[in-house]
Amino acid sequence: MKSPLPLLTMALALAVTPALAHDEKALMNAPPDAPYVQVSDVLPLPEFLPGLGTLFVNPDTLPAGPFLAYDHDGKLSATVYMTPLKALAGGTSYDGLGIGSHTVSSVDIYYNAGHPGVEEPHAHVVLFHDEGAKSRLAK
Amino acid sequence: MMPSRRAFLGFGGGALAALLVPCRSVAAQVTVIEMRGTTRGERIWFSPQGLAVAAGTTIRFINRDPGNSHTATAYHPSLYGRMRRIPAAAMPWDSDFLLPGDMFEIKLSVPGVYDYYCIPHEMGGMVGRIVVGQPDDPGWEGPAADTGDVMPEALAALPSVEDVLASGRVERKPAA
Repeated sequence: MKSPLPLLTMALALAVTPALAHDEKALMNAPPDAPYVQVSDVLPLPEFLPGLGTLFVNPDTLPAGPFLAYDHDGKLSATVYMTPLKALAGGTSYDGLGIGSHTVSSVDIYYNAGHPGVEEPHAHVVLFHDEGAKSRLAK
Repeated sequence: MMPSRRAFLGFGGGALAALLVPCRSVAAQVTVIEMRGTTRGERIWFSPQGLAVAAGTTIRFINRDPGNSHTATAYHPSLYGRMRRIPAAAMPWDSDFLLPGDMFEIKLSVPGVYDYYCIPHEMGGMVGRIVVGQPDDPGWEGPAADTGDVMPEALAALPSVEDVLASGRVERKPAA
């Protein structure tokens, strides 16, 4: 009888394959490589946004993102999505979005009336990547 | 904070406007309108949203929102092709984007009703109305009747001229 271990190993490997879809380490510290750009370099917004930190985004993924949110020390602290409410109500879905880190400690979802870059009223979906992330991004 | 370069440019525009029309007030008056927002950006607004001032008053817009940028932009065909909602003889203005702490000044000398908006937040109802002088002033021009290109959210947020004149300042009503 064959040992079930190789099968289990294979199953686990398949299960974690999505987690290896990108090099997480490359995003752990600011600035992430191209195609990410710093939001405040291309839009009239403060460099550090209270609650969101310093944001980077691949412009091709706008408006939803992911936006990578870094704290004052340049540590990846959250991944943020911005989804226009009117588009959602109209049937648009945002599927298969990327994520900065596969460790998520908590999620906040809230309304935003708009800002340069995503001017329509939209939802912010914030995935925090560690317990202290929220406080580090607060201000 | 010192006024930014564009603030001085704005002031220069206002000064030019003053040359175009008679100015009966010679007192140098400055009134502040703040750009405000909640921490998470759920609500954004001008404070006050409605303001009555004497002709010749300088309006100073200051961004007090730590997490957002704002503009104060007059409704005028020369600015993004919008329909005119300021007196015909008045100089239109656009503050450009003001980051937190930035300011912009404009002197308003033509009597009448001035409607303006924040470019990225018009849809969120971030609009304001300034009433300069009184309806019986020579050359007074009341609120624009044509509302064709103004978003319903913006129209609903504009205070009435009567309310502005009655109280001098009208703040945005809190969210229900």
